[in-house]
Amino acid sequence: MGSLLSRNLRQFGMVIALAALLVFFQVRTGVALTPGNISNIIQGNAYVLILAVGMVLIIIAGHIDLSVGSVAAFVGVTVALLTQSGVPWALAVLIGLVVGIGVGAWQGFWVAAVGIPAFIVTLAGMLLFRGLNQVLGKSQTIPVPDGIIYLGTASVPEVGPNTGFNNITVLLGLLGVAALIFFEVRKRRNATRLGAPIGPVWASVLKVVLIGGVILLATYLFATAPIGRSFPIPGLILIVLVIVYAFVMARTPLGRHIYAVGGNRAAAQLTGVNVRRVNFFVLTNMGFLSAIAAIVFVGRSTSSGAYDGQGWELDAIAAVFIGGAAVSGGIGTVIASVIGGLVIAVLNNGLQLLGVQNDITQVIKGLVLLLAVALDVYNKKQGKPSIIGLVQRGMRRSAGTGETGVVDTTQPAQPAAEAPVDTSSSRQ
Amino acid sequence: MMNIARRKLVTVTAAAAIGLALATSGCSQRAGSEGGASPSDSSAEKGFAADSFIGVSLPQKTSQNWEDAQSLFPQKLDELGFKNQVQFANGGVSEQQNQINALITRDAKALIVGPIDSAQLASQLSQAASQGIPVISYDRMITDTKDVDYLVTFQPQEVGKLQGQSLLEGLEAKAGHPAPYNVELFAGSPDDNNAKIFYESAMEELQPKIDDGTLVVQSGQTSFQQVATQGWKPETAQKRMDAILTANYSGATLDGVLSPNDTIARGLITSIRNAGKEVPPMTGQDSDPESIKLIAEGVQYSTVNKPTVEQVDASVKMVEALSKGETPKTNGESDNGSKKLPTQFLSPTLVTQENLCEVYEEDPVRGPIACANS
Repeated sequence: MGSLLSRNLRQFGMVIALAALLVFFQVRTGVALTPGNISNIIQGNAYVLILAVGMVLIIIAGHIDLSVGSVAAFVGVTVALLTQSGVPWALAVLIGLVVGIGVGAWQGFWVAAVGIPAFIVTLAGMLLFRGLNQVLGKSQTIPVPDGIIYLGTASVPEVGPNTGFNNITVLLGLLGVAALIFFEVRKRRNATRLGAPIGPVWASVLKVVLIGGVILLATYLFATAPIGRSFPIPGLILIVLVIVYAFVMARTPLGRHIYAVGGNRAAAQLTGVNVRRVNFFVLTNMGFLSAIAAIVFVGRSTSSGAYDGQGWELDAIAAVFIGGAAVSGGIGTVIASVIGGLVIAVLNNGLQLLGVQNDITQVIKGLVLLLAVALDVYNKKQGKPSIIGLVQRGMRRSAGTGETGVVDTTQPAQPAAEAPVDTSSSRQ
Repeated sequence: MMNIARRKLVTVTAAAAIGLALATSGCSQRAGSEGGASPSDSSAEKGFAADSFIGVSLPQKTSQNWEDAQSLFPQKLDELGFKNQVQFANGGVSEQQNQINALITRDAKALIVGPIDSAQLASQLSQAASQGIPVISYDRMITDTKDVDYLVTFQPQEVGKLQGQSLLEGLEAKAGHPAPYNVELFAGSPDDNNAKIFYESAMEELQPKIDDGTLVVQSGQTSFQQVATQGWKPETAQKRMDAILTANYSGATLDGVLSPNDTIARGLITSIRNAGKEVPPMTGQDSDPESIKLIAEGVQYSTVNKPTVEQVDASVKMVEALSKGETPKTNGESDNGSKKLPTQFLSPTLVTQENLCEVYEEDPVRGPIACANS
């Protein structure tokens, strides 16, 4: 009983760390958990979290992308200049996304077709697109129109009858809880049908109550926030991206190919995975997500500037590694990376609320990154299951049945949390 | 196999597109209600408690005057009983945005903001305005937003003018030969609103002399875009100077340099010394202690003194007036692109070897350096 409890708790290690940070800062400052502040955290870091979604794919495939900040800056200035020259903002955003995909494809070409390491291609890209950003923008700040500012700063609109709540936020929250219960029930039913071992009922109930409680609390906070301060649009964009990419990684051949290429490239090739196509895809996709991050950021900043994107690549990479991805590739999940990014974001925000100086904040963030990864490595060496491995496995299915590498299409789509091919077992 | 993958990818992409479309579709409905009232004026008249929390958000700590501000703001605000917090955004614009959000969350009753980028804080400031928090733009003007209330700055036109004039004086005094003089021009960061004003005002003095042939810019680089130094980074300016010296001054002598501030001036001095040349008259700004030493030694010709203490004082006085519900005293107006901003202009002074000790006598850090020889 006790061991079961501890295992179930450890499954959510990173989530618990996040919650603990939030509670700690709430106690210390009294304002950390207000909707306004949570909304600040989401809006102020959405661009990093969006980049982390793409970066984890790159890192799982065994690459790294140093150019994301510069690419975002380049896309940002392109969109800003387009709108300035009279192009409607929605069209400019669309062109920006196409430019991002084009830039990603350009880098993907050098990696996949020519065979230059992504580190070098994207290092070149970092310089190249930073330079282009400054050439195009003449190193100056260029304002963007309200439509784009909306994407970066607004919260979900007030629609429908006046219920005293933000209706869309309530709807989203209830949908989230319903999905949680639905998938948990389906998981148990499937496991029973297949005769697979399942955890005790109370564990599932606890899980649903805990996560559902958090969702409902967040929903309540956002839904009752003053008009214009409910759930932010960048957060909505992020959720859509997380669901889509978690699904792709967990449930599609493409996702499994990405894991396979990163886990063991030669083996992947021998089993018929088109490695070049995978490499091309992850880099092109990163360009696309950099473009989304760029648009959200110029929206929030109400303009594109010469410094946009500086250091973003490192923020995104840190998020992915705190989220438990392996430097050598093959391991990592979209959800865990976003949670890793949120840990940094909450830490940043909390320290700012406490009034800790920026220099000290950087020291703390550096130590957290090191400790998070060190703890994981230490646990692996001790023969204990890695915390991050547990988080991933726990999110995948019940921890006990962590069968690996089996493509089981009858499993419920619990997209937000799955890592299908556990290549870690072959690597330890 | 790949076909299935592709089909799924298409489905998923389509789903993403629909999701995005849904997420953004509220636009037109929201546009109307977004504006809200701008209560900053009315609330400024109400005032706030004398022990309120005041937030100070400053840019990167790149020169001595920012270091000074870090200690002066808490000191002056403490004296009046305000709780306060000074934060530097060394990590860039997004960090400053988050810091301002955090200051607002902490219930700041007034914000003093020295922006990294003049125009990238509008959404944070509109949040401040919607909560009736007055915003004082410190040192650099915040542009293109209505949600800023006051500006405290040293007259930037005056700074540029003094730099231009002192370069001309320096040339006559030190070049040791009649005109034409070879000069090179450097300016500050293109995203800093003041940098352009400094440069343009200096050029008002210099351009006529370039036109009549008194001054020659051998590199031909005279437009603001060409001479600007991204991020005020001295190493960037130093590299540009290295290149100019190699390309244009292997035979010619360099007679003078317009430098926008002291840190850049020191980078340029290093570059010129590395090239084995005499350091010609060089301008500066900010009264960096290192540069005061160089002026005392006769290496750097001049700097423009903008005592941080005066600027901090003026900002804190504004906060005090606001807290009492009074309208802060200002002596001018600046156009920030969206509104006329009531401005407290302070006047800068030119410092050369001649008045060095006199200007800094009272300053605990700079005084001993400036007056060491006299």
